[in-house]
Amino acid sequence: MRTDRFGQAAIAGLGMTELGKVYGPSPRRLAAQAVRAAVADAGLTLDDVDGLLVSHGMSGSPGIELAETLGLRDLRLLTHMNAFGATAGAMVSYAAMSVISGAADTVACVFADAPLKPRQPAGSAYDSAAREYYGFTGMTAALGFRSVNAFYALAAQRHMARYGTTGEQLGAIAVATRRWAGMNPLAQMREPITVDDHQNSRWVVEPLRLLDCCLVSNGAVAVVVTSADRARDLARPPVHIWGWGQGHPGHRLERGSEFGLVTGAATSGPVAMKMAGVTADDIDVCELYDCYTYTVLVSLEDYGFCAKGEGGPFAASGALAPGGSLPTNTGGGQLSAYYMWGMTPLSEAVVQARGHAAERQVTKNDVILVSGNGGILDHHSTLILSPQPRGHRP
Amino acid sequence: MTDTGFGVLRRDGRTDAFFDGAAADQLMIKWCPACDRWFAPDASGCTDCGGPELVWARAGGQATLVSWAVSHARPRDDGSPAPAPAMLALVELAEGPWLHARLDGVDAGLLREGLPLAAAFEHPGEGEAYLVFRPTTGEEPADAHRGL
Repeated sequence: MRTDRFGQAAIAGLGMTELGKVYGPSPRRLAAQAVRAAVADAGLTLDDVDGLLVSHGMSGSPGIELAETLGLRDLRLLTHMNAFGATAGAMVSYAAMSVISGAADTVACVFADAPLKPRQPAGSAYDSAAREYYGFTGMTAALGFRSVNAFYALAAQRHMARYGTTGEQLGAIAVATRRWAGMNPLAQMREPITVDDHQNSRWVVEPLRLLDCCLVSNGAVAVVVTSADRARDLARPPVHIWGWGQGHPGHRLERGSEFGLVTGAATSGPVAMKMAGVTADDIDVCELYDCYTYTVLVSLEDYGFCAKGEGGPFAASGALAPGGSLPTNTGGGQLSAYYMWGMTPLSEAVVQARGHAAERQVTKNDVILVSGNGGILDHHSTLILSPQPRGHRP
Repeated sequence: MTDTGFGVLRRDGRTDAFFDGAAADQLMIKWCPACDRWFAPDASGCTDCGGPELVWARAGGQATLVSWAVSHARPRDDGSPAPAPAMLALVELAEGPWLHARLDGVDAGLLREGLPLAAAFEHPGEGEAYLVFRPTTGEEPADAHRGL
């Protein structure tokens, strides 16, 4: 495998709209706003953009017509992508490959969504309740599988039954993440919580409590990927893309499946780390896709930060919290900050790599791992990012 | 069961064999004759040989518990009682396929991986029958005889 060119792409721009209960603009307008912000953040103009990757979303998210909305001309790369929560990581990897191959020079990657509606409970944005249901899909919903929460609850419960993982250990992740959120002005939930608060929060789908589940947010986030050489001369410190990987386990629902026990991180992690020339021991910061506390726990195991089945004790040790040995979800993640699918961990990684995280800035940020997780643990992405050019050794 | 929380279940034109079986308390799933391999009712083809011609066949109804979850309804704004929690499960049929299912007549404290279960059907007044699974050991509820 040729590795000499892999370090030659970087993230040069980050753009974020207002996030949370943002009811006015359509997802397409939000996406355009985020792309413009990311391009300006890099010190570029829209005329410099020759590639656009648009993420799938749930609620009227734009497709490739976004290029027209932005008035982009003579693009050399344009596509709409979907690996659900793994899309952001995948977009950055395809953007990097395009830059490295010369197919495009400056690629904007964007996610936008607006599932929240005024006067509607956040949980119902991803929920389905009807009076009538049709066929097999309907049967599952009619039996009580009304949202993705139920499927993740089965995954979490399997891990708990197999390895002895406890609700308090999941709570430790919620508490650590909220501590980070308290230092992030963009976080939607900043009030400190305790494990008792977690244990007293209502059941959503047991074993998942309210404080095990991510927020729902409207908004958009974009990044701009260009060559590392070019990024060096732009407005912001480059965030070098050292490695990337995907993992799609294809868990068949049949005897022998590892559903709930092992995720795509077990594949995407080693691929990305090998490309980056690092091991789990070299990772300074983790920005993990935390649609649930449980996904953080199982991802930590699959990346090799602890042994399989030891994610619970590892999380409860305080390792993930401010001051811990493995700062994780340093902006408050999807649990406490904002839910922009894979753009949540990616945006915080860019902020930390630049050293712009102010009060919550980690002291050592040389190697940052970013994960994405989509579907019901069906799709996974990993990025290894750094403020240093690839090959840097602290 | 006292709690249903069920909506009305309808056929969609592709599920007649399954719901005909359900009406007669028979669990119908898919089978690949070439590979002698069993699949869930919603399988569209054989993942081994690629053959699209799966046939409907009656499953024995024996299963074991893979995982479980309890779905709690969101508290209601007006303070009225929310529907009772639903006991959801992933079950492994003796033939191999997994199904997303609902458990009935179980004590949450006794659930464990590998718990033996048997398929049963609930016949509501309106719409198609619902598949549920009940434990085959331990203290069974008085109405367990309604199973297969």
